[in-house]
Parts: sequence; structure tokens; C-alpha cells
Amino acid sequence: MSANPPKPPAAPAPPPAPAGPPKDTFTVVFDGQPIEVPKHLNLIEAAKLAGIDIPHFCFHPRLSVVGQCRMCLVEIEGVPKIQAACTTPLKDGLSVKTTTDKVKTGRAATMEFLLINHPLDCPICDQAGECTLQDNSFGYGNQLSQFDETKRQYPGFDRTLLGPHVIADMTRCIQCTRCIRFCHEIAGTSELTFLDRGGRTLVWTHDGKPLANDWSGCAADVCPVGALTTREFRFRKRVWYLNKTRSVCPGCNVGCNTSIETKEEIVYRFLPRLNPAVNDYWLCDHGRFLAESLNLRDVHKATIRTGTSVQDAHVPAAIERIAQEIRRTVEQTGPSGLFFLGSAHLSNEENFLLRKIADHLACPNRDVVVDKSRTRKIKSQKEWVEGDEAAPNFRGAKEMGLAPGRGGYGLDAVLSGKAAPECVLIADAGFGTAGDDADKVALLRRARFVATAARTANALTRAADVVLPAASLAEKEGTFTNVQDRVQKFERAFLPRPPVRAHWDLLLMLAIALGWGDRNWTPADLLKQIAAEVEGYGDVREEELEGGTLLKKGDFAWAGQP
Amino acid sequence: MEPVLTRRVGKPNSRAIDGYVADGGYAALRKVLGGWTPEQTTEEVKKSGLRGRGGAGFPTGVKWGFVPKDTKGKPVYLLCNADESEPGTFKDRLLMEDDPHQLIEGMVISSYALKCRTAYIYIRGEFYLGARVLEKAVEEAYAEGFLGENILGSGYSLDITVHRGAGAYICGEETGLIESLEGKRGQPRIKPPFPAVSGVFNAPTIVNNVETLCCVPHIINRGAEWFAKIGRNEKNTGPKLYCISGHVNRPGVYEAAMGLQLKDLIFGDAYARGMTGGKKIKAVIPGGASANMLTAPEIEDCPLDFDGVAAKGSMLGSAAIIVMNEDTCIVDAARNLSKFFSHESCGQCTPCREGTPWLYKVLDRIEEGEGRVEDVDLLARICNQMANGMTICVFSDAAIAPPLSSVTKFRDEYMHHVQKKTCLVGRKALVTA
Repeated sequence: MSANPPKPPAAPAPPPAPAGPPKDTFTVVFDGQPIEVPKHLNLIEAAKLAGIDIPHFCFHPRLSVVGQCRMCLVEIEGVPKIQAACTTPLKDGLSVKTTTDKVKTGRAATMEFLLINHPLDCPICDQAGECTLQDNSFGYGNQLSQFDETKRQYPGFDRTLLGPHVIADMTRCIQCTRCIRFCHEIAGTSELTFLDRGGRTLVWTHDGKPLANDWSGCAADVCPVGALTTREFRFRKRVWYLNKTRSVCPGCNVGCNTSIETKEEIVYRFLPRLNPAVNDYWLCDHGRFLAESLNLRDVHKATIRTGTSVQDAHVPAAIERIAQEIRRTVEQTGPSGLFFLGSAHLSNEENFLLRKIADHLACPNRDVVVDKSRTRKIKSQKEWVEGDEAAPNFRGAKEMGLAPGRGGYGLDAVLSGKAAPECVLIADAGFGTAGDDADKVALLRRARFVATAARTANALTRAADVVLPAASLAEKEGTFTNVQDRVQKFERAFLPRPPVRAHWDLLLMLAIALGWGDRNWTPADLLKQIAAEVEGYGDVREEELEGGTLLKKGDFAWAGQP
Repeated sequence: MEPVLTRRVGKPNSRAIDGYVADGGYAALRKVLGGWTPEQTTEEVKKSGLRGRGGAGFPTGVKWGFVPKDTKGKPVYLLCNADESEPGTFKDRLLMEDDPHQLIEGMVISSYALKCRTAYIYIRGEFYLGARVLEKAVEEAYAEGFLGENILGSGYSLDITVHRGAGAYICGEETGLIESLEGKRGQPRIKPPFPAVSGVFNAPTIVNNVETLCCVPHIINRGAEWFAKIGRNEKNTGPKLYCISGHVNRPGVYEAAMGLQLKDLIFGDAYARGMTGGKKIKAVIPGGASANMLTAPEIEDCPLDFDGVAAKGSMLGSAAIIVMNEDTCIVDAARNLSKFFSHESCGQCTPCREGTPWLYKVLDRIEEGEGRVEDVDLLARICNQMANGMTICVFSDAAIAPPLSSVTKFRDEYMHHVQKKTCLVGRKALVTA
């Protein structure tokens, strides 16, 4: 199941010196402590391996090294002048000092220079709380400054939309060029550039064109200060109130690792989680700005239609109603009168449950469909990962067995009239655009009974006989299988507000009502069943499930070995 | 000393190729292409002791030797730095405008020594006349077979392109110049790698100053020993152009043997002929705006060569001597230069981008009578925070030279400004940078 190549067998013990193979590490001495570090690392990353934080602004592990913020100053033994760590090539025997007076003075000087023209109004800056300038000022700066002149202003270049999502405020910019390098080196679109020079330098777009690439939100992510922020999140919430939850982007089948940032049952934003194998440090705008859509809710309660009247219902009662209809159909027409539709938006566990219900009823009529979208891509280190499905888990849903069985039929047959099920169970009303297509819903509606679960209303929920209130991605846990065949876990940010329940919870209640399953099962138990039953899911590694590392806006986590 | 580099300056029609050939021009090129090996040529330049005339004074032949033996299929470029933008410097302009073929001959010989097929002249944008003259001269050289395919039937080929800058001081820094030549923003690069290993288009590149390249034909013609005998000692050899400006009677470019006494340059009859109005000297900047100021006592016994000026705690730099008389307000002079540096900082490194305007603002305040006593020490502190490895290139080391040297050497004058809120000399500086 893993996209990674199998681990090579352990290397044989090296033969005794001096005939040993050339080693692939350097011995670098940090403050007197020697440590072996991989040769490809930057000195800042190597120091991190040694447990030493070297403060920096312009360095980013995936962007070219420019050495211009001058914050990562260190002393190198044998070199009289103070050096920028990021531009110092690693070599064997390199001796680095990070705590000398010269280093401390140099870093404090850089902090002072950075702050003389930077507004000291953190309370009204949206970056406050996740600002590298704040952190480094606290850690390495002096509290007092002798700067007594008028601060630099950028009239016309402050608090201005640079594109559809990013707001630029050049008065806060520290000219680290991470955003410029992101657009040039990762996105490959090169919208941003330095204008003017010296103390008047500013970052802006060429010829006033918009910053409108597919990943413009990442330019704000890499910004270590409040110079670039996203319009969608700006001033919505102080970041220190936000809880971070490991999740997976629902935007397409690339399955970018995200962090859902929430406070009191409200989703405020998505941030990428560092996963070098999938989305690395990045997240596309399409996925990133789906975050707020998780807060939408039209279906607050279960409803049951009787004739033309629709009434609110108790969820267990609505489930019982579905179970009754299913039993009645089986009695009258046999299992072939049933049709089960899974969803590429639902987790493996939920699709698995649906398939097990169909199995339990011996019904071969099950299917899952997905809408195609334009190709979405994300830079995974050097390679692009591409996806062209408008849902995160079509692959997983199929692998859970949601395809017509022997003698069964799928959605196409139902919509074309070749098949006429009596009772239709659609696990997720938002399974695709067909769910909001009145013509197609009318074709589905030819069945005697239609039941679904939903969060937002569409043509299908308005037509269905029973609608169950279902949780959003933030309100449940599970796994998605992405385009690379990686099985990735998403976690629950908060509980759904009753009577809303997770899809898996609703499906499990239905299964029990139909005489199969155990009320104590959780998605984790279901995943164990999947591992035991579904081919390829038996050997999913824990790291693959966990996915990436949580990030702070403007900072990067230790990437380890790519 | 009879003039060497400037021997044709002032001659009628000194720019034309026929005049140059008639004066013995391109003889050195014929000599080299007539059987010398590139290695032999480099060796001759090495033996001459020629040091780079652009400011750093690095031995030219040694620099040429830094080009890797195996260039891995990449071409080698020779890049002539004609972005003469150090305030007070105007020697290269003279050489280019009055004797362009001397430079072209020097470049062809140097290119041959470097096995270079394409060479560039990066000339500062403001030198419109110089660029026109050089373009014309390059055209003539092509027509006469001194450039292009199969030069003088030797089988060696070279193309020279004249490229005009867009007006930035920092493009005189060799890696900034390379970036600008490549069509990018003029920002110095991180070193290493040095240009000799990875320069223009990531290929090995040698960057030499105009005056340096102009020396090369003479070294070939008259021999390295002749060249090495000119000058104060074996480490400071050859003829040198000195640019003198400021409060002197006859400012201008003067050629002399390396190691000319600074006092002779200011007072000598052959040179600047003393101070205007017989005023006393207050300060002298010996090597362009980036050099530390020298006080009147310090200019006694100051030979103008790389080591002589360094011994005085300053540098020869581009040999641009700016003389300030006793009526000059030193704070105003420092303010003027700081304004220049804050305008010209490229803006990539924090200390320089933020420090240069800060220095200017503080100096401006002091000069305008709004300074405070603590500002004097503040100036020194800001300067010390900007130098010695705090930035990618040496621009900020240069930018702090005027304020730091003046605040150290003329502290009384600064104190007068901040305590009495008036100018000691009661007038503004006449120096404009």
C-alpha cells in the first residue's frame, strides 16, 4: 500500500578502516560537540540535528539560499569574520560556534536593524503569535532601540490586495524574499519581485499584475512576518486561540496533509502540514480556502417525508425508518431491489461500512462515482503530484469494494433507466454534482424510497424520504487513500453538535438496525477490519497514516532527510 | 615618468584605429598571437606584479590563474568592469573616451591568455560618450581583423560586446555586475563560488578593471621587468592614474609611477598645484568615497599605492583623492556621502538596507542642528554593527567609512554640532559626491 519503496535491507557492517567506503556524512562540531550530519544539509538544518536553533528569516529548506537576512550569524573556527550559517558550506571538521559574544552582538544588531523600520504594533498585526520577527526579537534582540527617526512608510503599498487571496502590507515586510523565491522556484510563475532598492526596497508584482497562481496562499505561508496574509483568514481569529488538528485536504485526490485550525467548533483556516512525500510545505488555494466551507450547515436534524410533508425526526427513529424500508424491499423484491451509493468524499471506514451493509444484505448493487476536476497539482519536493478528481477518496472508496458485484448494477444503469431499484441509500448527498442535478435526482427518485445523509442541502436532500444530519470533515476521523495510494489519517477537530453524527456513526447505527455490527466500533476498529479484509491495506505503516508535521505560518519544521 | 597609459590622451583623433596603429598600437597583440602561448602570456602578467586597478588591488596574473584547468565544457568569459561609479573616480572614463583601442588590445591579449572566446565591456549607463566611442572602436577593430574570427590569421577568435549599465553603484561590485549583465537585478552574489569559478551564466569569468586591462599591452610590449621596475617597491608596480578633486587648484587625472607621495599629488607643479586660495587641508579621502578619511598630519609621507595607504589605515581603492580644506564641514561631508550610500544600497542585506538610511538620517539631524550628544556614539555604534561579515558584499563596509572615520578623527567637530547646535566652520561642504 505504501508509495515509498520498501526499506532496503540493513547495510552490512562497514569493513575495518582504512578500506572503508567513503562515508555519506560530515563530522561537524557545534559549540564543541561533534555530530555526524548528512552531507546535503544546510548548516542551519545540521545545527537543528544537533539540537541547536540558529535564528533565521530568509532561509527555507525548499528555497534557494540567499543569505540576505543576516540573522543566522555564527562564528566558524579559522574564519575571522562573522558568517551567515545558511551560506556556509558543510564540510568535515567544520567547527561552528553559536553562542559567542560576537554572535550574540551580531544577531542583536540584525534584530535592531530589522525593527527600526518595522511597525511595533503587534497587537493590531494579524501575524502576532506566529511571527518569526517576534520570536527572534524575544530570543536574540535587545529590548531597547536608539532609533528616533520617522519610520519608513509605503503609501499605496500597504494593506492592499495583491491577488485574489493575498493581502500585502509592505510596511511590515523585512525583505527576506521568501515569497519571491516561492513564486519563482516552486510555483514557477514568478509574479513577485523586488522593486526599487536600498531602504526603499519593496516586494510587489511585475507591472501590477495580480499574484494569482494556484498556490498564492503559500506566499503568505512562507512570509515570516505580517507582510503577506490571506484575505480569508486576516483578522478572523488571534492565532494563539486556534487548535491545530491533523487532517487531509478534501479538495482533490492529491490528499495534501493539512492542519485544520479551529476554535469553538468553527473552522478558521487550513494550513499545510509538512509531508515531503505528498505536499511538502505547500497547499493549493483551491484546497486551502475550502476551510470555511466546513462551517456550512443546512441539515441540522433528521427529517422524514410522509407524502408531501416533511417532518423533523429523532435520528434513531429516522434510521429505523430506513431499516424498515430496506427490510420491506428485501421481502418484496429481494436484495436486487436495493441500491447503495458510496461517496468519494467519505472515508475508507465509511465506504467500508456501506459495503459491509450491502454484503450483509447480499445486495450486489453498489457503486461510487466521482466528478472530474481540472488537474490540481502540488510540488512534492522536485516532482509535481497531480490529481484530477473533485473528491479526496475515490480510489479508497473503490478499494473498499464499492463497485457493482456479480449480477449487480451501478449508478449509470439507474440513471439510464436500465435498472429500477426500489430502495436507494445514498451515503452522502454531496457525493457529486449529480446530487444537485434536478434531472438526475428525478431519475433516482423513481425509486419508492430514497435515504441520504447530508450537511448541506441540495436537490437530493429536498427529494429524499429520509435525510440524516451528517458531520463535516472537521467533526470526524478516518482515512483517505490518495492518488499515490497512500492511506492517510485525518483526525477530529471537534465533536459534531447533536443530533449531527459522523457518517460512519450513522452507517453503523443502520448496520446494527439491520442486524450486523457492534455499537462499540470506532473508525480505528473499522480500519483494523479493513486492514484484515482489504487487499493492500494490511501493511500500511504508521508514519504513512500519520502523515506530515504540523507547521506554523512563516516557519518550517525540521524536514529530516527528504 | 613619461606617460604610459595616457600617452595618447589629448592627441588629435586619438580614438581612431589608424592613429592608434600609427603610434605602435596592436603591436603587442601581434607579438602575442605570433607565437606566445596563453600560459606564457599569463606568466608575463604575473611577473609584472600588476595589481587590479579597480580598488581591491588583487594581483591580476594570480586572478587569471584561478580559472579552473578543466572548465567542464563551459566557456571562459572576460568581463571588463567599466562601471566606474566610485565617487571621485574618473580615470577609466578618460582611458575609454580618449584611447579606446588601448583597452581593446588589452582585452584581446587578456582573452587570449584566458582562452576566452567572448568578452564583455560593462560600461556604466551614464557614460554615454564612452559607450559610443567604444562601440565605434570595437567596430573598427572587427573591420581591421583585430576582433572576430581568426584574428590576424592566428586561428584565435574573440567577440567583444559593449553592454551599458542602467545606473547603479552596486553594479561596479563584480558579482553585482555579473547579475546585471545577465539581465537581472544588480545584487551581489554570495561568495564562494568566486567568479573565476562561476561567474557570467555560471561559467568561469575574470572581471578586470579598465585601467588594469590597459596596462596589459604595455607589459607585453616592454616586458614584465620594465613594468615591475616602475613603482615604489616590487609589490606596488607600474604606472597609475590618480584622480584628484576637491579644493585644489588643478583637479584632474594624473599619471605617475605607483607610490606617488600624496603631498606631491596635491602640491606638485605637475599635479594639482596646491590648495585653492592657499587654505589648509582638513581631510583627504585617498581612495574614493569608500575609503577612510585621512587628517592633515596623516598625509605626511603617504605613498599612494596599495600598501602605503593601507598602512595609514585607509585604502588606495580606485585612487580617487578627494581633498577637503579647513572650511569644510566634516559632518556635512559625511552626510553627503551617506546620502549617496543610502541611495545606492541594493537592499538585500538587512544591516546595509536599514543601516545606510539610518546613518544618513542621524547625520542629517546633527548637521541641521537637531543632534544630541548621544548621537555621536550612536553613529559609531551603527557603523560597527554594519561591517565585518554582517553583509554579503563589502558595500556596507564602504558605506561606514566616511561616517566612522570622520566621527573618530573629527569628534570635536561632531560634538560642536550636537552641543552648540551650529556648524563649526559655518558653511556647507563644497564636496559633492
